Amino acid sequence: MPDLPELDPVIHGRLRLALLSLLSGVEDAEFAWLRAKTSATDGNLGAQLLKLEEAGYVAVAKMFVRRKPQTRYRLTDRGRQALRNYVRALKQLLGSAIDS
Amino acid sequence: MTDRLSEREVRDRLRLIEDMITEGRRATEHWGWAFVLWGAAYYIALAWSTVGQSAWAWPVTIIAASLVTAAVASRKAGEHPRTTVGRAIGSIWVALGMSMFVLFLALGLSGRLTDPHLFIAVASAILGMANGASGLLLRWKLQGACAAVWWIAAAASCFGTETQSLVVFLAAIFIGQIAFGVYGMIADNQARKRHRAHDDPAHA
Repeated sequence: MPDLPELDPVIHGRLRLALLSLLSGVEDAEFAWLRAKTSATDGNLGAQLLKLEEAGYVAVAKMFVRRKPQTRYRLTDRGRQALRNYVRALKQLLGSAIDS
Repeated sequence: MTDRLSEREVRDRLRLIEDMITEGRRATEHWGWAFVLWGAAYYIALAWSTVGQSAWAWPVTIIAASLVTAAVASRKAGEHPRTTVGRAIGSIWVALGMSMFVLFLALGLSGRLTDPHLFIAVASAILGMANGASGLLLRWKLQGACAAVWWIAAAASCFGTETQSLVVFLAAIFIGQIAFGVYGMIADNQARKRHRAHDDPAHA
């Protein structure tokens, strides 16, 4: 039986997975938009985004737009590759379940 | 499956990824208001230039409409994520605005914009091009139909009297700007309501 793939623990959290997936479809997105799409609380969202940032999967840019602070996030190349690997691993797991 | 993840969980995660990617890609900005604004601007400029016989009617109205569009767009910019498709469509419309402004200003200043048929035909063709490109990018048949309206107006305005050309242009503005813009605003509103009702929260 082939070895089952390891799943990246950074992406494995459900909210972190949702965030990476959301960011993979856009160039960048503001904190408020991510919060609206995931229905997460500010604290939880901030903490999960920080983990993704520390892993180098997302990059953050803080700016002022019309005198209001805005924090925009974008998926890095490393994050995109990690998400790709995660999806591949999930599909492999699913394949092994169908085979067995 | 594994001691960590059941088959159902794997499928659930794959579905979550797919849903979120779709959600991000769907996040194009809403521009129905801009179509209505520009439709109104064309009517104002036409009325001003026809009744008031002023050479400044078009440049002043276009600059004013551009400023309002830029102000509203910058206010809305923070609410939406930036997407490649959104940037591509925005570029088409900015390029259209610049082309029309430079061309018609130069033609007006040089005194060569003497044939209203030509003005209507060129303006309609350029608007058809922008609508056609946006419609193809978004795979939106309705905007493709708007492009067809503009192209028909461009061809039709080459024939008949000046009054007939003007009527064709007024009708095209109504269909391609006002009616399409209002439809866009209603559709955006309904989509927003549907989204709120079906939001599937992702929890950590």
